[in-house]
Amino acid sequence: MTFVIACPNCGPREALEFSFGGETTRRAGPEASEQELAGYLFFRDNVMGRQIEWWLHRDGCRKWFLAERNTMTNQIERTFWPHERGRTA
Amino acid sequence: MSARRLPEGPDEAILRDRPVTIEVDSKLIHCFEGDTVGSAMAVGGITITGRSFKYHRPRGLQCMTGNCPNCLVTVDGIPNVRACTEPVRGAMKVVRQNAWPSVGADIHGWLNFWSFMMPPGFYYKVFHRPRWAWHAVEPLIRSKAGLGFAPEEEDHRTRERISLHADVLVVGGGPAGLAAATEAASAGANVVLLEQRREAGGHLLGEPGGRVRAAGLVSAATDVGVKLLSGTAAFGVFDGPIVAGWNPDALYRIRARHVVFATGAIEQPAVFPDNDLPGIMLSSAVDLLVNRFRVLPGRKAVVLTASDGGYGTAESLQRAGASVRVVDLRGEVGPTPTMAGLAPVLGATILRAHGRRRVRAVEVGPPGASGGRKIPCDLVVLAGFAVPSTNLLSMTGAKVEFDDHAQAFLPVDLPPTVHAAGAVAGSRTTDGAITQGRLAGLEAAAAVGHGSAAASERVGLLRLQAAADGDPVVLPPETGLGKGKQFACLCMDVTNKELKFAVEEGFDSMELLKRYTTITMGPCQGKGCMLASQRLCGKATGHTLAETRPTTARPPWTPVELGTLAGERRSPRKETTMHDVHVDAGAEFMWAADWRRPHHYSTPGREVEAVRQRVGLIDVSTLGKFRVKGPQASDLLERLYPNRFGDMKIGRVRYGAMLNDEGVILDDGTVCRLTEDEFFVTVTTGNTAALERWMTWWLADWGLDLRVLNVTAAYAAVNLGGPDSRKVMEKLTDADVSKEAVPYMGCVPMDVAGVPSLVLRIGFVGELSYEIHFPSMYGEHVWDATMEAGEEFGIEPFGLEAQRILRLEKQHVLVGQDTDAESDPYEAGLGWMVKLDKPDFLGKRALIDLEAAGPAERLVGWTADPSIVPPEGSSVVHEGVWVGRVTSARRSATTGKTVGLAWVPAGWAQEGTHFDIQFGTVTIHATVALKPFYDPEGTRLRS
Repeated sequence: MTFVIACPNCGPREALEFSFGGETTRRAGPEASEQELAGYLFFRDNVMGRQIEWWLHRDGCRKWFLAERNTMTNQIERTFWPHERGRTA
Repeated sequence: MSARRLPEGPDEAILRDRPVTIEVDSKLIHCFEGDTVGSAMAVGGITITGRSFKYHRPRGLQCMTGNCPNCLVTVDGIPNVRACTEPVRGAMKVVRQNAWPSVGADIHGWLNFWSFMMPPGFYYKVFHRPRWAWHAVEPLIRSKAGLGFAPEEEDHRTRERISLHADVLVVGGGPAGLAAATEAASAGANVVLLEQRREAGGHLLGEPGGRVRAAGLVSAATDVGVKLLSGTAAFGVFDGPIVAGWNPDALYRIRARHVVFATGAIEQPAVFPDNDLPGIMLSSAVDLLVNRFRVLPGRKAVVLTASDGGYGTAESLQRAGASVRVVDLRGEVGPTPTMAGLAPVLGATILRAHGRRRVRAVEVGPPGASGGRKIPCDLVVLAGFAVPSTNLLSMTGAKVEFDDHAQAFLPVDLPPTVHAAGAVAGSRTTDGAITQGRLAGLEAAAAVGHGSAAASERVGLLRLQAAADGDPVVLPPETGLGKGKQFACLCMDVTNKELKFAVEEGFDSMELLKRYTTITMGPCQGKGCMLASQRLCGKATGHTLAETRPTTARPPWTPVELGTLAGERRSPRKETTMHDVHVDAGAEFMWAADWRRPHHYSTPGREVEAVRQRVGLIDVSTLGKFRVKGPQASDLLERLYPNRFGDMKIGRVRYGAMLNDEGVILDDGTVCRLTEDEFFVTVTTGNTAALERWMTWWLADWGLDLRVLNVTAAYAAVNLGGPDSRKVMEKLTDADVSKEAVPYMGCVPMDVAGVPSLVLRIGFVGELSYEIHFPSMYGEHVWDATMEAGEEFGIEPFGLEAQRILRLEKQHVLVGQDTDAESDPYEAGLGWMVKLDKPDFLGKRALIDLEAAGPAERLVGWTADPSIVPPEGSSVVHEGVWVGRVTSARRSATTGKTVGLAWVPAGWAQEGTHFDIQFGTVTIHATVALKPFYDPEGTRLRS
């Protein structure tokens, strides 16, 4: 895991400074079916290619943000704040 | 001075006014600063530098560049040091390896004559019947395997880890690398240059006049700001690309936007019978010995060459006073080499060598001839068969393709940020290498934004000049003539015959041969054997060299000390601001996550008694502490906890546990409401970092209007507990600390010992108690003031062990100790806090199902006879079958019983149920107790 991630707050930093939060998921709310709950808890898309995922700048500003990463090349296509999801996703 | 040392020369790198004496196997050698252990051994007349790995054959200096395995020695207790590149130091003690009692008279030399018993993989084949035979033989084989002995003493050297970022990284400090670095830096790029040897200059360092030229190239580079890391070897390329380098002081991790590989080429030995005899050297070694170290390795030399390069070495030798015969593989030689007096034997090769402890003669004749002319000699020089050093390039993802002109695999299809220059890219002249280096440097600089019109023009020009140079390469025959071992691989002692047998056994590709015979897997990692192995493999399988690709390149390309990879010992160690007071009080410390915490001061039993009877004080600064502040602070807590917080009054404390969406308990702690929109949250010591991530993650996802601030280090805290604690508090503060003013589960800001504090009335230990949080800089002051105020009441400091007994007597659950990754609140007896009527909270969906299904297991308290305490983790058994486990157990002096917590089948969660606990061969009887063992009604902690 040796690539560079551009923290939206701090700029480009080594991936080692960050913690991975996994691909974004749709949380199963209180009304969810059993299947939706299981899907949310235990199943992931495990995309080969571009995926939106959570990252924490652990050794920096300690902010969570989202990154679009190519899982085959570790190329980070873009990074953005969670509140920018609607606009850019 | 030794007779072998030559008079001063223009290219020498030894300081004759600084004599050094080293000891090699109790022989004293007088040499100079600037010598290496290898050159010193040559000065001292030591021709056998070690014994070989498997057959214990005598071996001598071969490459002088740190590639071959022949001169691995133990220096001052450190094994497998390469003598040829290790600088001499005064009073150095050198021991040659893999021989007993000495390399001169190694009793294991007999192994050489039993080699027919030990083909590659022999340990799979022989000594396996009868079955006991292997057990008898294996320890013997193991004791013979390996080189050197690991040192016994601990290694105290400091080894740093250094991360570097550069625009352009150049790997290799020969002419091409220096030229590339100079161009890139001149263009304005930030450039790092890695050079494995202590002095940059590459092959120039051995050439007559080369040292001056190398020094010029080096100063040109450093003058324009190149950061030159000499003595630092690149050993691997990782995703990125990140280049890993090391030297004895540091491990480097270098990320550059563009990387130029100028890794050069490595001279190869030739294969013929007894080609491993001491005295058979590569021309690079002879050039360095004669020109740089001024020592004559032999007086009668035979030079085998297939290019003009060998004549330079021959001339150097001749000028130094040796008699030289040149054997040239080429049938005719152009007009360039005017080899006055060298009278080359043309169209011939070395068919075999003679000698036992060093070379005495070689047989020379046309390739494939059945016999040749014997030429007596004490030095054989193999010149000009070099293989481009493409391994590091291959690790970047570059491909290699066979080039007929160079008779070698050259890099093609380089990744967009990777460049190659010099011998690794097929250049075979110094000027050609420099041209390629300049080109690569300019291109790399332009690619990182330091280009210009003038530079592009020069790039075009250099491209024209940088075409392949040098004559077509001629390789010596794959093998020589006659009996005697012909070594393809010196590291692992693998011969041409053994490779041929291995192919016949079916291991008919390079990758299979490598794994079966261990060729290319020794200390040289293929540097001196890949070509020979490829050619012999090709010969045995009927393929050309072009069809026999080298094995996959992987790190480490050069050997790395394990200590360098391990780095320094660094484990985080946190101390509270009261640490020194605990030390002075004689505390025994223990680890609690990264923290050092007092386990006990006197004895846990005495400390428990003090808390139960009088008053005690414990440092709880390690608790994770958060301030949650903002208009939507209570909304966040409502969603993070199953508890209700929206209705909580200011000045109240509530116990809560955080769950994940599986309904599993993550952590527990207290939540205090300070104002309408501010809460103070505490969490378990070891979970603080994880909980911070957890809370801020959901905060980011939900986008609520508030902040979560980790104030763990900003606040220290103590817990003052025991029936007399109110009396102590009254002495420490002017504020009202009565039951009415600070009720149970209340929190009040007040000054304590003059320090602004937040005081919480909570009862982890089960007594009237005050948890006091205050700015951590006042740690010692508050502790000392409290102890002083409590003196008249018999206050005692108590440690973690006493606290654990105290909490267990109250059946307070320790998350992580009594719960695990499957524990939900219903099972853990915390169902009372779950408010399923809240609209949503983490875990709600899962808890709906869990509540409906009802728990299968329950965490219950139990008591047993005080004579025995089962270890935590003991089994709960029913009719001999495992049905649960003990998570906590302590002897409780207060209740006169052994008490604990255990997971049991849900049906057993009835007051008074009897069950068995088993550990080892012991079974004890326990009784379920659902209420706290001590003060079950909680009157004391509410008092």
